[in-house]
Amino acid sequence: MPAAPATSAPVSRDGAPAVAAAGTPLLEVRDLSIRFRTGAGEVQVTDSVSFALRAGERVGVVGESGCGKTVTGLSLLGLLPKPPRSRVTGQVLFEGRDLLALPEREMRDVRGRRIGMIFQEPMSALDPVFTIGQQIGETIRAHFKVGAREARERAIDALASVGIPLPDRRCDEYPHQLSGGMRQRAMIAIALVCEPKLLIADEPTTALDVTVQAQIVDLLRKLSERTGTSLLFITHDLGVVAEACERMLTMYAGQVVEDGATDVVLERPLHPYSSGLLRSIPRLSQRKSSLPSIRGRVPSPAEMPSGCRFAPRCGHARPGCEAEQALVDVGARHRVRCARHAELALPGAVAQAVAT
Amino acid sequence: MSAVPAPGPRADVPLVRVADLKVHFRTGRGHETVKAVDGVSFDVAAGETFGVIGESGSGKSTLGRALVCLTRPTGGTLRHAGTDPFALSARELKRARREFQIIFQDPNAALDPRMTILRSVREPLDILGELAAPERDRRALEAIDRVGLRADHAQRYPHELSGGQKQRVNIARALTLRPRLMVCDEVVAALDVSIQADILNLFADLQREFGLTYVFITHDLGVVSHVSDRIAVMYLGRFMELGPAQAISERPLHPYTRALLSSEPVPLPSALRTDRRIILEGEIPSPVSPPSGCRFRTRCRHADEACAAGVPAWREIEPSRFVACHHVERIDAGGGG
Repeated sequence: MPAAPATSAPVSRDGAPAVAAAGTPLLEVRDLSIRFRTGAGEVQVTDSVSFALRAGERVGVVGESGCGKTVTGLSLLGLLPKPPRSRVTGQVLFEGRDLLALPEREMRDVRGRRIGMIFQEPMSALDPVFTIGQQIGETIRAHFKVGAREARERAIDALASVGIPLPDRRCDEYPHQLSGGMRQRAMIAIALVCEPKLLIADEPTTALDVTVQAQIVDLLRKLSERTGTSLLFITHDLGVVAEACERMLTMYAGQVVEDGATDVVLERPLHPYSSGLLRSIPRLSQRKSSLPSIRGRVPSPAEMPSGCRFAPRCGHARPGCEAEQALVDVGARHRVRCARHAELALPGAVAQAVAT
Repeated sequence: MSAVPAPGPRADVPLVRVADLKVHFRTGRGHETVKAVDGVSFDVAAGETFGVIGESGSGKSTLGRALVCLTRPTGGTLRHAGTDPFALSARELKRARREFQIIFQDPNAALDPRMTILRSVREPLDILGELAAPERDRRALEAIDRVGLRADHAQRYPHELSGGQKQRVNIARALTLRPRLMVCDEVVAALDVSIQADILNLFADLQREFGLTYVFITHDLGVVSHVSDRIAVMYLGRFMELGPAQAISERPLHPYTRALLSSEPVPLPSALRTDRRIILEGEIPSPVSPPSGCRFRTRCRHADEACAAGVPAWREIEPSRFVACHHVERIDAGGGG
């Protein structure tokens, strides 16, 4: 896959370096392990998560609930509970700095300015007692020395850029006056108003209707293409990933189990879990037929199986799978954590679609 | 909409017959009326799965509640196997409604956190009060086993179960009454895709085993077209289209159905996706003052003066395919969405 064209990168308002050199990742996560302290002792929720994201690239993170997608996203911005309640090890290299080692004061300059984030439920992410314009303005004034009037103008521009009609009027409205889709647009406006290099979107369309979801996915893809903003799209919806992302990262039980180009993984997944997720989608099955499901469920962090974590649920498990599985590089920026990946020919989305 | 109900696959007395059903709510403020369901007519034949799709605010949940007499319609008629449940006395209704059950979306909210699973599952039988206690326990345990839970789950509390297991409990609870109809309102929406597949398979097994009839209400097009025999597409309190599931998924006729189907994100590689998405502008209007004429016209790219002037008739365009659209023939011939 070619690197994102550097020409798409805009010159940012404060003259900060706009783009990383081609080929160098914008974000590189190395061996990210997250542990939480609980009443029953420390539990490890992610295990040596490693991945890279290039400038302008859109990467989807998929997996069932409890796979560690959300905590991974939160940890990149230092939004997990403070130590000793959580312990994060590894490196999060962003624009040449390790965010995990950054003092809180400097982290605040990154958060919202270099990396933006949007969440699933826009109603709980917006403050009900401030207008939309005030909330966008708050972000702008936290990062730039601008007056109230300019902040308001920029807020109106931001609302217009996410497709909110009558932005100068909406700017003075409160969250409850907006519909769900409009609130999510407002959230995106807040996240993008400082022109971050990376946007982390955690299930941004899950609470929305399918027609509004289509609008939001479309908007995120277009904004990313226009501004060169990279997107880390956390979702359980493989359809959304197929439409919005060039690469997809499958997580299972706190580990990356597959990482590859979306089109390649959808067509020929190398990990049985990626294949299982695709096969259980009703749309890809024969009508009224029995759906192939993945038996069992994600193990809790406290009772993680040793060796391959997916083996207890895997139809392809064999002797040897009880050994620790490494995430191996199979070329063409494709990695998989399965000892049997070379011998298995797993069904993806295409075989199913053709068969029906 | 005409009062002629759409015929089901079987011509004898349908299990559910709805004619020009309306559910209007008075809101607290002023004299506004929310027309949640505003004139729908259909039959559900015994043994079939009738899917209802629509966005939030389309009235599909209100329709589901009316079907099992949780909400009293403000107009039109509802018949359960030929009888009007609202004409029954309270005593008779209590007995009759056991055959017409509903399962909701949120498996947590539907269970009392202080009751064991066994008590929750047995509760409908306790309320019915017809059977002796040991028989009620036996039936409840049988249902718990049937939905794929272990016997030791019976003594646990809801917080000790996963979301998928809790939804199984809710299914077991409806099963104890041996219903004929189950209204399933977004029953898999809160579940992960692999768990969702398990639950959908369970519904299919139960249907075969007990001859159940389902009304499956969902916003998920993949789910509805997988499970349903027929699908109704609802928008702002009315049906826009009704027909066999396969025909609707393969060749939707109403512009709203077309847009809805094209909005669904498809998990296929880019080369195999037909990128012919119809992005609907805006969102569903308020059910307090729906647009004149065709309710969908404000978001429809085929709309013209005729659509604002007159409510489109509910017409049988092809055998067993009903559509409410003035221009459906022209749009279908044009092939464009």
